Amino acid sequence: MDVTSLAAQLNTGRILPELIVIATILVILAGDLIVGRTTSSRWVPYAAIGGCLAAVGALTLQWDTTNPIAFFGEFNSDTLSIAFRGIIVLSAAVTVPMSIRYVEQSGTALAEFLAILLTATLGGMFLSGADELVTIFVALETLSISSYLLTGYMKRDPRSNEAALKYLLIGAASSAIFLYGISLLYGLSGGETRLSAIAANLAANTGDSSIGLVIALVFVIAGIAFKIAAVPFHQWTPDVYEGSPTPVVAFLSVGSKAAGFALAIRLLVTTFPLVADEWRFVFTALAILSMVLGNVVALAQTSMKRMLAYSSIGQAGFMMIGLVIGTDAGYASMIFYLMVYLFMNLGGFTCVILFSLRTGTDQIGEYAGLYQKDPLLTLCLCLCLLSLGGIPPLAGFFGKLYIFWAGWQAGAYNLVLIGLITSVISIYYYIRVVKMMVVKEPQEMSESIKNYPVPRWDLPGMRPLQVSLVVAVVATSLAGVLSNPLFTLANDSVIKTPLLQSTHVAAPNGQTISAAPLLETKNPF
Amino acid sequence: MTVEHFPWLTALVIFPLLAAIPIPLLPDSEGKSIRWYTLGACLAELSLILYTFANYYDLNQTGLQLVDNFAWVPQIGLNWSLAADGLSMPLVILSGLVTTLAVVASWNVTMKPRLYFSMLLLMFSAQLGVFLAQDMLMFFIMWELELVPVYLLISIWGGEKRLYAATKFILYTAIGSIFILVAALAMAFYGDNLTLNFSELAAKEYSLPMQLITYTGFLIAFGVKLPIFPFHTWLPDAHSEAPAPVSMILAGVLLKMAGYGLIRMNIEMLPDAHVYFAPVLAILGVINIVYASLAAFGQDNLKRRMAYSSVAHMGFVLIGLAAFNTLGLSGALLQMISHGLIAAVLFFLSGVAYERTHTLAMDKMGGMGKAMPVAFGMFTAGSMASLALPGMSGFVAELTVFLGFSTSDAYSTFFKAFIVILAAIGVILSPVYLLSMLRRIFFGTPGELEIPNNTSWDIKPREAFVAISLLVPIIGIGLYPKLATQTYDVKSTELANRVQNIRLAQDADHGPFYAQVLTAPELLASRLSITSIR
Repeated sequence: MDVTSLAAQLNTGRILPELIVIATILVILAGDLIVGRTTSSRWVPYAAIGGCLAAVGALTLQWDTTNPIAFFGEFNSDTLSIAFRGIIVLSAAVTVPMSIRYVEQSGTALAEFLAILLTATLGGMFLSGADELVTIFVALETLSISSYLLTGYMKRDPRSNEAALKYLLIGAASSAIFLYGISLLYGLSGGETRLSAIAANLAANTGDSSIGLVIALVFVIAGIAFKIAAVPFHQWTPDVYEGSPTPVVAFLSVGSKAAGFALAIRLLVTTFPLVADEWRFVFTALAILSMVLGNVVALAQTSMKRMLAYSSIGQAGFMMIGLVIGTDAGYASMIFYLMVYLFMNLGGFTCVILFSLRTGTDQIGEYAGLYQKDPLLTLCLCLCLLSLGGIPPLAGFFGKLYIFWAGWQAGAYNLVLIGLITSVISIYYYIRVVKMMVVKEPQEMSESIKNYPVPRWDLPGMRPLQVSLVVAVVATSLAGVLSNPLFTLANDSVIKTPLLQSTHVAAPNGQTISAAPLLETKNPF
Repeated sequence: MTVEHFPWLTALVIFPLLAAIPIPLLPDSEGKSIRWYTLGACLAELSLILYTFANYYDLNQTGLQLVDNFAWVPQIGLNWSLAADGLSMPLVILSGLVTTLAVVASWNVTMKPRLYFSMLLLMFSAQLGVFLAQDMLMFFIMWELELVPVYLLISIWGGEKRLYAATKFILYTAIGSIFILVAALAMAFYGDNLTLNFSELAAKEYSLPMQLITYTGFLIAFGVKLPIFPFHTWLPDAHSEAPAPVSMILAGVLLKMAGYGLIRMNIEMLPDAHVYFAPVLAILGVINIVYASLAAFGQDNLKRRMAYSSVAHMGFVLIGLAAFNTLGLSGALLQMISHGLIAAVLFFLSGVAYERTHTLAMDKMGGMGKAMPVAFGMFTAGSMASLALPGMSGFVAELTVFLGFSTSDAYSTFFKAFIVILAAIGVILSPVYLLSMLRRIFFGTPGELEIPNNTSWDIKPREAFVAISLLVPIIGIGLYPKLATQTYDVKSTELANRVQNIRLAQDADHGPFYAQVLTAPELLASRLSITSIR
């Protein structure tokens, strides 16, 4: 068997975006070895960005592919996975330019950082498309182990070390639990590893006694909830976010979270239709807890990174509404929210990085009076925070609107009401930072602001940072008003995914929700 | 729907927003060119408003005119949909006038002028958007768009307790607006067709419980903004801490957004529920009038007193809405317009006084009449309009509301007498607090303040221009009310008749809903008379 026919049989073309990322990693590592650290740091980041963007391009080419299954069912490149892989690789592409200056200033090697970051991206991308237990676990571990490494990348900073250790211990435990869960699945299904085969065998074998299945479900949910940082599996988040290098936090809060959601949709919807009520119930509880706890605890934070950590827990809670209701509009609203969340959250983190590069602190109190010294940074951070808080006409407002719209359409009134109330709470703590920056008088300025350096963009690594900031802020401001293409993209990716369409029919006992988009309504009255 | 004509209303809503964009780039730090630029933009917008309505608006039509309808996010049914009718048109002109004058009133703002004036322009767009939106979500977007500018305007340029007031404002309004969204979604998903368009929503047949629940939702949302007791507590703080030009807009336009919402959503779309809720509105209106008038009398801070007076005057709007006849609805609309002008002039003049005295505490003022005779005269004129002196717009509006409510055939004589007498007590209280305010500021012996012996404190030409621009329409409407009423007459007549017919139909079905409660004294009396005859 020659290579071409083997490749055709495996349908290798479906993982072309991942191959591009792998090639980029190799180029970066090899180039760094050959030309040396100082020379390589000049071109390595651009190679990484180029690789990411090329992967995005390869993803768009695969949008309407007819045969999405690759590697005999190990990998599924349907539109759903393409949407999530796009989000993950884009979040890496925006993270790279913001990390250049940060890593350089800390005196560590840039090429290795980028290689690990891209490996994490690769893990996330494979996770979004993995359709088989072993692939899922390998991809998950690739993502997780790279994340631990990234978290501890500032090896001279004790807080970074602490964060990495915490993340590693909790992460390893949750991986073990997840692995136990999928091993149960393997056994219950009579030795199948493909998700669809597992579902079919489970339906044939278990019958009424689904206790083993429920235990497997609980273990799997524990693993997923750790990845998306849902309460009560969130304890690692604030410490890890506070201690890690900020660009890493930015990636973890978007890319890694998106991968977790992709895994959640695929694994739960395909494998657990028999216990759909149960997992919906568990995720409803997780969503409510995340929204309430994330948003309420964020009120009390004094460190910007900790506040963003709790806010990202709350945001994950909003996204879980889309997962729980399980309609087309629900999944689409989740994908749409992830897309706008990508820009507004990364934009927010870029501003935080910029501020800490100039002042060396992350305390919210130190932002007092920033408007006097750096109006541009203030404007960008304000736009991103207000968008996270859901103030129109910014992108975040439309994201939340779509989630609540879909939730109401599916009849999840309580979830929507809790979401609305907690989003008002979130407005309070976001606007507290805005108030800190804009409202304070010159005499109330913090020490860091008094010594604030004149903003300079000509230092090495600052231009890319500026570019990524501008891209994120422009997208945050305009993606809401001009959201039509993104809405279409999100809807398309759900409607064209056979997995999500078939489950509407397969879901048991009255859970059937019509596949017809938009107009299906339920009403309490 | 395609648009054959030039999208005038879209231009109206977008223009201030676009005009705000170049402000950060203007070469100026003192604020001089920025304020001229903003004034120019506002004047252009005002003339655009007047030009559009003068040339393309037909006063004799009841339906929607100048309709702009573009698909915005069709996936969730959101359309960029604007139209004007008799309800929105006068309020658009009012907000154009008040905002433009507020820019003139802000001439002395030198702190962060770029941010200040761009926030004013952003607010301008949002106000027009609220009054013109014909799509439920778009209404909500415009309603929310107002939040952050007002928050920043109060918290940066406000008085001593500005942060407290601004936070209170944003929390109250944000929580209130949740109810708009929930009610909007509930209405949109009701029945077979998903729509967010106002007219299509109004055409749906809602069940009564659904109507009552959504009505309650809207009532809470608009009750926070209008404000209705007990949701009013943010208002005295926000209005008294805001800088005078912002108070002008807050009291002059923003409160009217809620009144407009009540008419547009609650009455026009949910008329069946309105039949049930109207007596509640009347009672809430009376509570507003009496409670706020008494509270106003107890205030020592000039702007707080006027803020409570605003609360009291909005009570008349509620009573007018409860009347079920043309006079009542017309009076409510006229009261909104008239109070918009009166509150603007009073808040402006209190700002003028504050610029000279640097205090709002009335016990520190006193005897200022000699130092600022012209301002004193204008302040008196504004107060007289506010206490409903005949010949001023306040009188016509409140008289119409009274006439409308007392000629309403929806209520028992007892209930009408109860409401009218209590409201009349409120009308008597308004001269008490307004005249005592004038006395404490302008008459008597000077307080702690050093008041100059000459008239150097008197009003400047720019300030006089603002006050006169507001006083002229006040007196104009007072002498010739048709000036204002003709802009909405056909619409309010049509709407009042529609609601009246629905009420009559409901009465015919199962008798007056409140008959058992509200006509109880009569029943008792007639039974007594029957027994006595026996």
